[in-house]
Amino acid sequence: MASSFRTILRNDVFFMKNTCPNFGSPTLLVCCLLATFALLGCKKSTTQPASPQPQNTISILFAYGSEKETWINQVTESFNSAGRKLPDGRIIQVKPLPMGSGECVEQVLAETGKPHLISPASSVFLKLAEADSLARKGTPLLKGDIETLVLSPVVIAMWQPMAKALGWPGKALGWGNIESLATSKEGWAGLGKPQWGPFRYGHTHPEYSNSGLISILAEIHAAAGKTQPLTLQDLAQPNVAKRLEAMEQAVAHYGSSTGFFGKRMYAAGPAAFSAAVLYENMVVTSRNEPNLPLPLVAIYPKEGTFWSDHPAGVVNRPWVGAAEEAAGRLYLQYLMDTPAQQTALALGFRPGNVAVPVAAPIDAAHGADATQPQTTLPTPEATVIRGALDLWKRHKKHSHVFLALDCSGSMSQENRMGFARQGGLDLLRQLAPEDQVSALPFNHTSNDWAFQGLSLANSRAPAESAIDALFASGGTALYDALAEAHEAAIKTGSSGKIAAVVVLSDGADESSARWTLNKLLQKITVTAERPGPRIFTIAYGANAKKDVLTRIAEATQGKSYTGGTADIRQIFREISTFF
Amino acid sequence: MQDHHEGPRLTKIGRLAFTLFIAGCGFGAYKLLQRDKSGTSTATPTTQATGKTSITISYGSEKKRWLEWAAAEFPKTPEGANTTVELLSRGSLEGARAIAAGTDKVHGWTPAGSLAREVFLSDWASQQSGQPIAREEMLALSPMVFVMWEERHAVFAQKYGEVNFETLSKALQEPGGWGNLGGKPEWGFFKLGLSDPAKSNSGLTTLALMAAHFHGKTQSLSPADVAQAEFQAFFQKLAKSVTGLSPSSGSMMKEMILKGPATYDCLLTYESVAVEALASAEGRWGKLRLVYPKINFWNDHPFYALNAPWASREQRQATEAFLKFLLSETAQREALKYGLRPGEPSVPILGQGSPFKNLTASGLRVEIPAVCQPPSADAILNLLTGWQRAR
Repeated sequence: MASSFRTILRNDVFFMKNTCPNFGSPTLLVCCLLATFALLGCKKSTTQPASPQPQNTISILFAYGSEKETWINQVTESFNSAGRKLPDGRIIQVKPLPMGSGECVEQVLAETGKPHLISPASSVFLKLAEADSLARKGTPLLKGDIETLVLSPVVIAMWQPMAKALGWPGKALGWGNIESLATSKEGWAGLGKPQWGPFRYGHTHPEYSNSGLISILAEIHAAAGKTQPLTLQDLAQPNVAKRLEAMEQAVAHYGSSTGFFGKRMYAAGPAAFSAAVLYENMVVTSRNEPNLPLPLVAIYPKEGTFWSDHPAGVVNRPWVGAAEEAAGRLYLQYLMDTPAQQTALALGFRPGNVAVPVAAPIDAAHGADATQPQTTLPTPEATVIRGALDLWKRHKKHSHVFLALDCSGSMSQENRMGFARQGGLDLLRQLAPEDQVSALPFNHTSNDWAFQGLSLANSRAPAESAIDALFASGGTALYDALAEAHEAAIKTGSSGKIAAVVVLSDGADESSARWTLNKLLQKITVTAERPGPRIFTIAYGANAKKDVLTRIAEATQGKSYTGGTADIRQIFREISTFF
Repeated sequence: MQDHHEGPRLTKIGRLAFTLFIAGCGFGAYKLLQRDKSGTSTATPTTQATGKTSITISYGSEKKRWLEWAAAEFPKTPEGANTTVELLSRGSLEGARAIAAGTDKVHGWTPAGSLAREVFLSDWASQQSGQPIAREEMLALSPMVFVMWEERHAVFAQKYGEVNFETLSKALQEPGGWGNLGGKPEWGFFKLGLSDPAKSNSGLTTLALMAAHFHGKTQSLSPADVAQAEFQAFFQKLAKSVTGLSPSSGSMMKEMILKGPATYDCLLTYESVAVEALASAEGRWGKLRLVYPKINFWNDHPFYALNAPWASREQRQATEAFLKFLLSETAQREALKYGLRPGEPSVPILGQGSPFKNLTASGLRVEIPAVCQPPSADAILNLLTGWQRAR
């Protein structure tokens, strides 16, 4: 496994080389990658120092991947309540800090949050960070034993009736079935289920998320018709590119967070996704969702998959003294002890303590199978992963983004217009040359398109100039503008691109002449019978109508954001991961 | 036959380091361990304000559970009533270097095998002064064993007859994976795990067993045996095909249990590590099967009570007392529960509750067909160099 992780690590370095062209050294590339994960993985500020502690306590900061937040919160609360002490009598108090896995390790490398313990979601991040730590400091990132706290395999999550239509549970299924469904023009109708419509598939963005990277490697395995290690020759086969592109056409949209797909599936049901690449624990805990439309089941790909193994260890930095190490190890031991491990099991994780058997709810009643997976896919060499990402970028499902920007007079306050322009430009920069973009600036009187359907391959500069020239004046006709953008997106929807509207507004609609909120919601609401473009909303500033914008986003199975001038660019960058 | 002097050339310093290392192990591990220069020495516990004497024991992870039991039980005895025992998990070679460098200020050291002893003495001589070992005793014995999932072992045995390095190599080369071996296609490719020879005692032992198997030889392997062209062809092919490497035998076995047959179909580890894993594996993925190599090797789990400058008189006495406790019948019987063959001859290996009586269905057995002598220093050097070149 060690060599596999190193390969992933080199791949992550590669990725930054492609997205940060001015970064030449591997160390800087790694920094860039980790910073990206940090930006994308967490909105919570976790860098502030711990509040002063009474002299008879010792405070331990634990930075960890947010996938296990529910478990960590539960067990840490009981640990802190127990008042465990060091031999010198000080009471140990652990402060858990959930964040993206990349940020976990970056907090140590950049010496920002100065955690005493870390636990990203995957050993990949530790290997990545260990290499960077040695390069930067000449010393390992962690010291002593590293514990595997819990585990969860990557699975294809599918609605039970749909999985049964494919032969589950008696028949071994895998990435090949995803390919067949995704490339079938008939969709579910080909399996005698026309009422289910097209096959809608979801995986995260492979340049931002581990599960997304795994997804495209698996798709290429299926396209190449092999389970042996992929080669550059495989990637060069025209048929592989063609089949990859066909599979990606079934993708509803991408995203930076595996958790997003889980929540989206739980909330929206088969209308949003027929299947998505998730972690097993998410399938298991989906059964606790009060309004789950159908049961979800985990398909363990017969061709192989990968593990998320949640390693945890003590940070090897000067701020971690002997007392902090001792306290941290007592806490990690507490997490590994049977009671805490059983709590993790109840939350759908496989225990990292080998003495705790895997049992319910990792069972058929929760859509899981403890005897799976039976094999793993080989992790290709770095050059092959590099090639796979390049191949995906050329053959992914491309997008047409409709950007509706509020240019009312209030946007001139606090330089909101200036930051919004920068955010819009950031969004454009993240899109691929094969993507298209349209821009609809709106206020109370005007909703003329700044430009429509520009291809970024040859019109990136005019598009950027037009965005950069926007200024604020007048009132707000949000509903009229959204209806206009949505109508245009519907016309694009059948062109094989991801059609989506991104709307930013800093105030209430006060000027729409043709559309009310209720009429607009009736028009845009997505159902299984009436799929439509998603709307991503940004409630910008204190006076924005968050509730209205959230209703609009949810009606279309999009996502709503709340932000201000400080984080608007980050929000636009996160939205770009959906395309 | 290839002249072993025609093998990879080393610098003078490298050669010197290897020579020291080869008394038992390999320079690769030595070099790797040198990178751990964090400067954060493991503080030696001192006599505490409570009046208790605290000692620290550096140990190999393969004895973790037994030593944790001992550290908890010793203070309950009259001899240990005023002592607290701290445990520090270290790879055999990692421990040797850290103690000699003074970064691990421990009072006792118990690696998996005595091969690391010479490394330790050499390092100590160059960095400290005096004779560092006050007393040494063998705590237990462990041979090596192949561990496979029972369901897959049955298929493997049907195809190849027995598990050995040659049949493992064939399975690893099989382009169709398990589908062509008679198993289920969804089992994927055959996957073999080893401890990294550059880091662990068990990894180096594995390389020696590969050579012993190939030559059918129980006498000490020579450099000429290792350099032989036919062996090199076999060795390189096998080395390139190994699926996963782990820093220690304990972590590799744990990974096999946690991630199941999806990650490892087979690995080679200490018998005691395998015994400890049997119940856990069954609670996860199913039964494991143990298969002994036809030519094996004894790992003797020595305990070295240290004569280190950081050890107070009370700590030296407490360490001696702890060693005496480990050799007591009570502790030796407890060791047996964890699959360690007692180092104290008076404790029967087939006594009541012994896994060697209860786990025979899993393949555990007392008899070892043949045991090879330790290879010569140059032979180990060539094995390790060949391994690193192949990987």
